[in-house]
Amino acid sequence: MLWDSFIEGIYLAFRWDTFGFMSLGLMLGMFVGALPGFTTVMAMALVLPLSFFMHPLVGIPFLIGVYKGGIYGGSIPAILISVPGTGAAIATTFDGPKLTQKGHGRKALEMALFASVIGDASSDIFTIFMIVPISMIALLIGPPELAAIIVLALVIVAAASTGSMIKGMVMATFGLMLSMVGQDPLEFMSRFTFGSLQLKSGIPLLPMMIGLFAIPEIMAAIERSMEVGVKAPPKDAHAGERLRFWEFKRCLRTIARSTLLGTFIGTVPGVGQPVAAFAGYAAAKNASDHPETFGQGDLEGVAAAEAANNAVNGPTLVPLLTLGIPGDKVTAILLGAFVAHGLRPGPMLIVDNGPTVFAILIAMVMANFLFIGLAYISIPLFARIVTLKRFYLIPIIIVLAFSGSYVSRSDPFDLQVLCIAGVFGYAARKLEFDVAPLVMAFILGQILEYSIGQTTNMASGNVFVYLFTERLSAGVIFALVPVLVGVMWYRTIKRRKRGEKLKSKVIGEDFA
Amino acid sequence: MMILKRLTLLFSAVAMVATLGSVTVQAKYPEKPVTLIIPLGAGGSHDMNARVFTSVIPEFLGNAMIVKLMPGASGQKGTARAIKSRPDGYTLLFTHNFIDQLQRHVEKLPYDTLKELRTVWKFNDADPIIYTRGDRPWKNMKDMMAYGKKNPGKLIFTNSGKWGAGFTAGAVILAAAGVKAKFIPYKGGGPARRALLAGDGDFTVGRPSHIKGNLRAGKIKVLGLAGLKRLKAFPEIPTFAEQGYPSTGMTMDRIIQAPAKTPQDRIDTLRTAFTKLYKAKTFKKLMKKIGENTKFMDGDEYDKNVRPKQSKAYKTLVKKLTSK
Repeated sequence: MLWDSFIEGIYLAFRWDTFGFMSLGLMLGMFVGALPGFTTVMAMALVLPLSFFMHPLVGIPFLIGVYKGGIYGGSIPAILISVPGTGAAIATTFDGPKLTQKGHGRKALEMALFASVIGDASSDIFTIFMIVPISMIALLIGPPELAAIIVLALVIVAAASTGSMIKGMVMATFGLMLSMVGQDPLEFMSRFTFGSLQLKSGIPLLPMMIGLFAIPEIMAAIERSMEVGVKAPPKDAHAGERLRFWEFKRCLRTIARSTLLGTFIGTVPGVGQPVAAFAGYAAAKNASDHPETFGQGDLEGVAAAEAANNAVNGPTLVPLLTLGIPGDKVTAILLGAFVAHGLRPGPMLIVDNGPTVFAILIAMVMANFLFIGLAYISIPLFARIVTLKRFYLIPIIIVLAFSGSYVSRSDPFDLQVLCIAGVFGYAARKLEFDVAPLVMAFILGQILEYSIGQTTNMASGNVFVYLFTERLSAGVIFALVPVLVGVMWYRTIKRRKRGEKLKSKVIGEDFA
Repeated sequence: MMILKRLTLLFSAVAMVATLGSVTVQAKYPEKPVTLIIPLGAGGSHDMNARVFTSVIPEFLGNAMIVKLMPGASGQKGTARAIKSRPDGYTLLFTHNFIDQLQRHVEKLPYDTLKELRTVWKFNDADPIIYTRGDRPWKNMKDMMAYGKKNPGKLIFTNSGKWGAGFTAGAVILAAAGVKAKFIPYKGGGPARRALLAGDGDFTVGRPSHIKGNLRAGKIKVLGLAGLKRLKAFPEIPTFAEQGYPSTGMTMDRIIQAPAKTPQDRIDTLRTAFTKLYKAKTFKKLMKKIGENTKFMDGDEYDKNVRPKQSKAYKTLVKKLTSK
């Protein structure tokens, strides 16, 4: 019966207007995502009322198009000007901008595109066939399990970092501390706010991120121009070289690994794309036989991050479709769209509206292939930005960094955060501290604090007993943490003994 | 699109300066777009409601209404900004009663919403329902409360965050029944519902439109609803009032407010526009699509009859819940 619905879904999905509006959504999403500060969620909320007037098989794919386009769009400024448009694109800034500096901006954009599309399409297909098991996983992971998984992630981040481990730990600890500024998420007590209403809502991620990654990059660019003087742009003012097939082939293993990781992280509710991108990047560097080129402008780094963050997309839809639970803001908007079209996400959705649901899922897979064409055509347009003269380009980047920090909340305080984070990031760069563990710990810290708080409440304070009597799986993961630390430590030491040369001159290098 | 709106704003500002130079006649409000601050995040129910009505209202207001999301500090950031803005009718706040009337009893705030904001229009409301898992033995609220009374601290209430919309309904009933329960907060209604389905909780607060699928599948059971009347969709489910529980203050009122000193004629202009809006077919159709009602109330009536009463009720509730 499910199979019949699936076949019927295929017939339903192939309508010209579905494809037309999906293309429109993809382009719209890509352009909005490429503008720093404009998030995919904002774009989706804005076009949501429009989708109400469309057929369900047009309106929902249209929104999904905006979503998918937006996630890729975020990688464009991350690669070209080191301004991560969204949290998902942070890991892309480790290698992307370095490639652009070498004149390979277009290559990097194309690599990101193929990695994104492969990651996304495979996770979508996986989602369609594994929809039932994934929805079961979503119910298995509650706050205690989430806390355990986050601790595990933190350990991997810290332990996998080669180079100066202590510096990485210092930054990670600082990131954890920063994540606790503001109201505590459970009881709303103010912490480290010094009576300021501004700090009460915590430190905003987006301005901090842009400050930490983009401002040091701008300063470095200015320093370079001061050294060499203002140069004319590279002799050939075209958009740059295309991606070669062998370069793509070289990254296939990395893409496959990141896709698997991203898909897995997508099935865990409440973790999200930034974490997946970091994990994909770390895993790729760990597995590589040339980890020293990561962070220096390695196409594999871009592929690792982009495949992982896009692979999250498919499985995150599962709790919405099968349980009627939106896991994040994007799926909350999609829930609105489903309800508006008379579809009720939940256990009965596939029974009641099987063909429509499969048609939407199939359209989602098709969106990826459509996107390859659309984005491939528009990449040269974006890549052209690097052909601008430096004295135009740097001011443009500064404007984008500031406006990008401001637009999400229209709050002048966010500009202060941007400036402080920028100065901090610049100092860290000069002192050879990597800011990536800080941001990672900042993101993970908020999830961790919340889930630990929930767990403590659930256990009525007696966490240890609760974990090992009622939440054995979480308890086991927690128990595994020291073992894993040991293994990682041992591997690092062994690797160092083998005499691997590690330069830690460049940002992103320490982090793995 | 946002940029476009900003551009229009810029152009209209330029146009305004130009007209001011030549014409001295008092200009008609609104001569530039009105900003609507939402102190909550993107993609939430306020955002969706606002996207719907701001897309229709220009026709009746004569100018655009621009949504500005300013989340932070449980809504206090946007509220503070609206209060500090110039009282000229160009800055409005789209908020709800828990930010407006409950928060002031939880902590010391740098402003007094009851004094510094007046309500232009109560936009609509959202009646919560309380539901439990399908496998629990309780048939209604009374059964569950009886169990809770017998087993203090056993009943688990998964809610969408302390003092929020998905919290108060449960808290009011627990307080009225004198039941001690375990409160587990989640990041929003979705995750709270997940926890319930996963078996990590006994009951939660939700909206009828969000649970239909799970209800039909028998995964959940509704124990009661906060509205005054039974719902057409669930005629067999009794209201809380029928079961002998209070239901004041549980409903989330979505309200549009302005700084208290905003001139009366501008408030009137806005109210006229809203009155016309509620007669428009497109508006009604869209609201139905997003599953929201259009139970409005004039702002003065809301300020006079609802706000002070609810604020008082919340004061007692907060006192009851925080003294242990």
